[in-house]
Parts: sequence; C-alpha cells; structure tokens
Amino acid sequence: MNRSRRKNWNEVNAASLARWIVLTAFLALVGLSYVYLTLQLYHLGDRKKALENEVASLRTQNNVASVQIAALTSRSALQRRLKEGYLKMTPIAEHNIVRLTISARNPNEDAIQPVANQPAGR
Amino acid sequence: MKWNSRTRCALVCFGFILLFSGFSFRLVYLQMLKHDEYAGLAAEKHVYKQTIYAERGVIYDANSEVLAHNIPLQTIVADATHLNDVDAIVDLVGDELKISKAELTEKLRGERRYIVLKRAVPETLADSLRAKLRAQNLRGIYFEHDSGRIYPNGSMLCHVIGFTDFEHHGIQGVEASMDEYLRGQDGYRYIEHNRAGQEIVLYRGQERASRNGCQVHLTVDLNLQNIVENEIDAAMREYSPKKATIILMRPQTGEILAMANRPHFDINLRSEAKPEEMKNRAIIDMMEPGSTFKIVSAAAALNEHKVKPDSTIFCEKGLWNFGGTALHDHRPFTDLSVKDILVKSSNIGAAKLALSVGDQKFYEYIRRFGFGERTGVELPGEIAGLIRSPQSWSKISITRIPMGHEVGVTPLQMTVAMATIANGGKLITPRIVKSITTSDGKTISSLSPIVLRQVISPQTAREIGDALRGVVSDRGTASAAAVPGFVIAGKTGTAQKVDPKGGYDKDKYVVSFSGYLPADRPEFVGLVVLDDAQTKPEQNYGGLVAGPIFSRIAERAARYLDLEPHEEIRKALPVERVALTNAPHH
Repeated sequence: MNRSRRKNWNEVNAASLARWIVLTAFLALVGLSYVYLTLQLYHLGDRKKALENEVASLRTQNNVASVQIAALTSRSALQRRLKEGYLKMTPIAEHNIVRLTISARNPNEDAIQPVANQPAGR
Repeated sequence: MKWNSRTRCALVCFGFILLFSGFSFRLVYLQMLKHDEYAGLAAEKHVYKQTIYAERGVIYDANSEVLAHNIPLQTIVADATHLNDVDAIVDLVGDELKISKAELTEKLRGERRYIVLKRAVPETLADSLRAKLRAQNLRGIYFEHDSGRIYPNGSMLCHVIGFTDFEHHGIQGVEASMDEYLRGQDGYRYIEHNRAGQEIVLYRGQERASRNGCQVHLTVDLNLQNIVENEIDAAMREYSPKKATIILMRPQTGEILAMANRPHFDINLRSEAKPEEMKNRAIIDMMEPGSTFKIVSAAAALNEHKVKPDSTIFCEKGLWNFGGTALHDHRPFTDLSVKDILVKSSNIGAAKLALSVGDQKFYEYIRRFGFGERTGVELPGEIAGLIRSPQSWSKISITRIPMGHEVGVTPLQMTVAMATIANGGKLITPRIVKSITTSDGKTISSLSPIVLRQVISPQTAREIGDALRGVVSDRGTASAAAVPGFVIAGKTGTAQKVDPKGGYDKDKYVVSFSGYLPADRPEFVGLVVLDDAQTKPEQNYGGLVAGPIFSRIAERAARYLDLEPHEEIRKALPVERVALTNAPHH
C-alpha cells in the first residue's frame, strides 16, 4: 500500500511553484495598488471639491465685503453720516487753496532775449 | 442510441456551449448594439450639466468709484419628494426665513414637487440655514445660486446707470446699452453624483470655464455729479418745476461729466418707482429750446458771410409783421449788431438773420448742428428730436424756428450744439462710456473723441463765442450766470410751453441756460433746463432762474477742476488776494 502510494505521488516542482507564487503575489500587489490608488483618487477628488467649495466661499465672502465697502464708502452714505454728525467737514478757505495748474506760458518767453555782454574785468 | 458516459458528457458540454453562447450573444447585443441607448439612460440618471455662473461686470465712474456691484444671494427651494420631516422643516425654515408657518406648510404639502420658498436670501443667512438643516438631518431643502445688483449711490446718476431685470438683463441706462459686455457668459461642467447626491469628482466630464462680464468705466465724475445733484435738488426746492435736467460735458472730447434729471428714483428700490421718474429726460424729452437756438441762426448767417459780427440789423422797434403774423421782442430794439442780437436775445433780429440765409441753407445748418438726429451717446432710448424739412414749413416758420419754436430738441442735443461753439465749430459725439476692461483689467475698448464734422469755421465759432460772452455781462440777459474770476459764454432760453389744446400756454415756460467756462479755453459745457418753474411771471426767465443755477454749478465745478481764474480778472482783484491764491504751500 505504502509502496503504491509513493509510486503515484507527483514530485513538486519547486521552481515552477515559486514562479506561480511570485506571479500571484505580483498580480495581487498590482490589484491592491490599483484599488489603493483608485481610493486615493476618490479621496483627492473629495479634497479638491472641498477646496473648491472653500475658494467659492471665500470668493463669496470677498464679494459681500466688497459690496459692504462700496456701500459704506459711497457718496450717499458719507453724506448721510455727515448729516448725522459722524463726520465733520470744514470748507477749504480761499487762501488755503494751492493752484497746481501751470499757467500758459507767454510766447515771448521762448523768443531770443537781448543781452548786454559786459567786458570781462581783469 | 446508447446513453453511455461519453454521450452524456457530450450532451452536457453541448448544453454549456449553448448556454454560454446565449450569454455571449446577449453580451454583444447589450455592449455593442445597445451601447449608446443604455449609456444614455445611465448618464441621465447620474450625469448632469452643472452651470458655472459668470459674474456681471461692475460699473465705475471716471475715478473708479463703484456705481453698480454684484452681491451673492441664494434662492431657497424644496423638492417635495425628498422632504423627510415636513413639520420640523416648517419650524426651522419658517423661523430662519421669516415665512409664516401656515404659508410654508401649505406650500410644502401642496401638489407641486419643485417649490420656491424664498428668493434673494443673503449668503450668511443661507449658510446658517444649511448648517442647521444638516445638524438636524433634515432633507429636501436646496440652495440655488443667485445674485443681486447693488447700486451704492442710490438715486444718484440713476437714469444713466439704469438697472437690470429679474433675469439680470439690463433694461435701462448703461446696464442696457452695455449689457452685451456686462453680461459675461456662464460656463458648464458635466458631473456625476453618487446615491447621496454628492459629486464624484473623479468622473468629471467636459468643462467650459465661465467668462465674467467686462467692467464698464463711465466718463461721469461722481464729484461733479454730486455738485449737479445738489444744485438740481436745490432748484427743485426753490422752483418746484415739473421736470429738470442738468448736463455737464467736456467739449473737446464729448465726455459727459454729469447728467441729472428730476423726477428721479432710487435704483435699489426700482419696483417702487413710477414710470415718469424713470425717464432719462436728457435724451428722451423733446422741448422747444427757445432763445438758446439763436446761436444756430447767428452761426449760419456769419458762416455764410451774409453778415459780420458788427453788421447792424434793424429790429423793427420790437414789433414786426411778417407773413401776416406779428413777431415781438421783449424790448423795442432799433438797430442791433449781430453780436447784440445774441446779447439782447432779439427774436426779430434772429429771424432776419435766418431770412438772410434762406430756408434751405438754414435747415442745413440746423441739421449740421446735430438737431434731428440721435447724438449717438451710449444710452438706450435716445430720440432724434423733431426738425421738419423746409417743404413742410409754413410761411412764418423761418421767423419762428430761429427763436427756438417749431422745433423739438433734446437737452443733450442742445448741449452738443453749445459744445460745437466752444470747440471751434467741431461737432463731437457725446460719450458716456470711457472704457471697457475685462475682469482681469485688460482694456478692450477706450474712449477716443469722434469728430463728426466741422459745422462752422473756427472764425465763426470764435465770433459767436465773443457774442455769448456778452450775454453773461451786465448788458446781456444772463448777468446772473456770471462766475467771479471767470469769463463765461452762454445763452439763455425762455420758451412758452406748448398747450396740448393748441397754441402756447401763456403762463408756463421752459427756462434754460447753456454755457461754457472758461470762455477762452472751455473746460466744460453746461445746460440747465427747468420745465414749468413756479416763480413770479416777471422772474420766469432763463437768465433769472436757470442762469444762477448754472453759475453755482460752474463755480463749484471750476474749484473742483482747479481751473485758474482769468488773468485779466485776476489782475483786477486786490493784490493780497491774488498773492494768497497763488501762494505756494509750505
């Protein structure tokens, strides 16, 4: 009995088995990597979406703030505050006005001016 | 047939082959032949087109002060099929949005699936509601993007800025005329979402970015506009006219520096405004200009060399029968020079000047000054006015048109005509838009003055200008329009209003003053028009009502623009004052 069983046994080809194990492990690793990377992509997508939402929210806040600034600094708002006494304005007196406009030049200024050359004294 | 093991095995194999062949054919049928149909059905369920909203462009004044801005808002809607706890939602949403609970319950328990709960909800309130809904795990309430248009200056410059409708399309003013630039273009993105309704970013499809609207910069200077608005309000309080219009314009470039009309309205509360308050009378109201129109007849006669500035015209001692109808002057003038016809505003003199030119030629000059056609300003609804051709004139028309009767002109046309005199005879197209820039600041269009034509020679323009200086003097009809330190040129107008029953209403006048400053180097042209001012009949004249308003505006505008007082007048001032005025600041 023992002899016949021994006779029917196949010998294990270690090299072939090792090759299959490596191949299977490689395929498993590739599969797991694929799943991991796909999950990472989903995760990054979610982060991207969250960041987009945050940017949109900041932009919205910025717009709201801009509108508030425009409303508070508008002429009508300033005049209203002036009437309410929050602001005080003093008219500029005539003698305090500095005129920056350069007056038109006299055309004669560009003409050749007569000069009297004094002899150099030594 | 023997049912041995081999036969049975072959039959089983054949059965399997048939089965898997069936599966294979079905697979090919679904994946290849029916692919598009089923892919479309799947896409309908999970893929949808998400709009990326573009922002409407901002409107600025000449100094980049904001005139129209956007504010982000939300529209709160409900999907009746997604509501998980109506009572709790009614309690929360009703409190947050200040909607009565009975009304809200009726809406949510109604037959409609898509229910708009409230529009124009501020972003902060929407955020707070969103957070509370999430905290209580309430579903079925959604937030849709919306935006509102805010006008920080309220009623100031309302007719020029205009406003948008419910769908953010401009329907009046610059909002309408520049809508194409302001509107922008929405983008889109195809997205897929999971069962919870969240976007799967990984499966984003085709995408097109939105393009925000362009920014429009106007020529209007809000500082000058403020001066004009204050003075027009003061005039409304003092004279209670039915309508009033004031325009300031730079003659060399055609830039409109200020434009105000009364009655007016608050653009932010436009739903409460009456139609009469929304009209930009500077461009859509037709009026008989009265004596300001005399500049046309005088310019025509001088330009055609029919007369010289010092030529004398007999003014018939104030009463002239022409064509069987009497033409009056307000005083019995005898001989007046052409210059004095403008200074004293003689109707008979102006009529004789037009007669010297002839019907056809006079009509040509009227048209060359821009009357009877739209000026081309970038504002919607402008009218061309009413100028009849000589073929349809009556026998006396040639004597009535020179004094501003029988013609219909807009206040802006009258301003442009005066600017033509100030500008050496060149007719410039008025402009209200200075430049258009993209949202990132690139200029795509900027103002360049458009000279339409040389209406009269520079010499003629100078001669008319000289005469108009005399109008604003002790001898003229508008001494009250003078501004200390400056030489002003201008012309008054006092026209009886047309009676709807026929003829003219004797007690109602349209008074006006149009002028420019400084007379030798004009920086701005102004027009003040008051329709049916309530004052004593002996004071209801352009020179006495509109003239002082122009004077006050011109004085404040000259100070704001830092215009140098006229040299000759400065010399006449006391030495100390001149020295102080020009003292350098230390």
